[in-house]
Amino acid sequence: MHVVIINGSPRVQKYSNTEKIMAAFAKGLSEKGSTFETYAISDRKTWDIIRDAYIKNDEILIALPLYVECVPGLLLEFLETFPQKDEHTRLSFLLQSGFAEGCQLRCGEEFLAKLPEYLGVRYGGCLVKGGNFGIRFLGEEQQERVTKPYQAMGELFTEGDGFFREEAKKFTGPEYFPLPMRLMMGLIFKTLAKREFQKTAASLGCSVPLDEKVWET
Amino acid sequence: MVLMIDTTTEHIGKVIAEELIRSGDHAAGFELIDTTGMHISHCIGCNYCWLKTPGRCAIQDDYEPILRKISKADQVWLVSDTHFGFVSWQTKNIVDRIMPLVTMYLQFKDGQMRHVMRYDHQPDIGIIYTGDGDQAYLERWCQRTTLNIGSRSLGVFSESKRREAVSCML
Repeated sequence: MHVVIINGSPRVQKYSNTEKIMAAFAKGLSEKGSTFETYAISDRKTWDIIRDAYIKNDEILIALPLYVECVPGLLLEFLETFPQKDEHTRLSFLLQSGFAEGCQLRCGEEFLAKLPEYLGVRYGGCLVKGGNFGIRFLGEEQQERVTKPYQAMGELFTEGDGFFREEAKKFTGPEYFPLPMRLMMGLIFKTLAKREFQKTAASLGCSVPLDEKVWET
Repeated sequence: MVLMIDTTTEHIGKVIAEELIRSGDHAAGFELIDTTGMHISHCIGCNYCWLKTPGRCAIQDDYEPILRKISKADQVWLVSDTHFGFVSWQTKNIVDRIMPLVTMYLQFKDGQMRHVMRYDHQPDIGIIYTGDGDQAYLERWCQRTTLNIGSRSLGVFSESKRREAVSCML
């Protein structure tokens, strides 16, 4: 199997969480003897090349972050330039987000499930996984550790059933967190997580409160 | 205040605005923004509006004055063309960039993870669309979008039902 993997994130590749996830996924493809080529839409100058790869290949995977419940505006703009193809082409998706629960990604997933029909191609399923906000802020070793589970999904994809297998569905994790976990996480959000966010902000040069009301002062 | 943001190629916001004015039901104030000719970038996902310059977008273009108005409005109506049954990328860019209105801080609300809002006031959002929009999907998306900012959906109306939308305006 040869897979064209398109990073649909608007963020520059260097800081793209999706890019790190794609790398682990692609490693899984390689492990099982598949080949791949990767692209990123964040640089508009490469759009003609990416579109050409989409036209010439029949196994396409778009990996993307969830932006306000759906596809990022930049990816929508790019998709509008795609020509119609036929059912020989299979289009699959890897949808990732910051929020961790599965329920947060379902609205985006519904759009992606319908998109292939608009483009005339076949739907290969959507791998859905949240909890990825912090990847870009981790060291290289930690990044590899947290993205490693995607390698198994790359291996699974090589078996040819897209993301329709039970293993892919289970990969999402819980749709909602149970109450005890929500209570515990809520406490962490108010304490430890706040401090960590402030530390991250300080490392980026921020010296004001993260909840500052900039237009009311 | 009712804010209408029109990204349509046929500028249908103008027609809707005329109907609203004729109805005389706009005592709370009304403003139409037609984005034609404006420079409004897509969100680049830099997270600066959460972590480096909280509440401010790093992109210097024509968007910030629009976002200020969104933050103060009681109702925001997105007037959009549709592609793939969904809003146009021009409208999606406007929505993607509301992120400065929420903070990096998190909480659980109604059982789901949410960002803590930056301001006390949040606008309700509605959609008026042209073309072959997927009505059921647009309704779901609008509801989910407003859930994220702690407000409510005003509903989704095709252009042909714009009078119904006007009747929902303050």
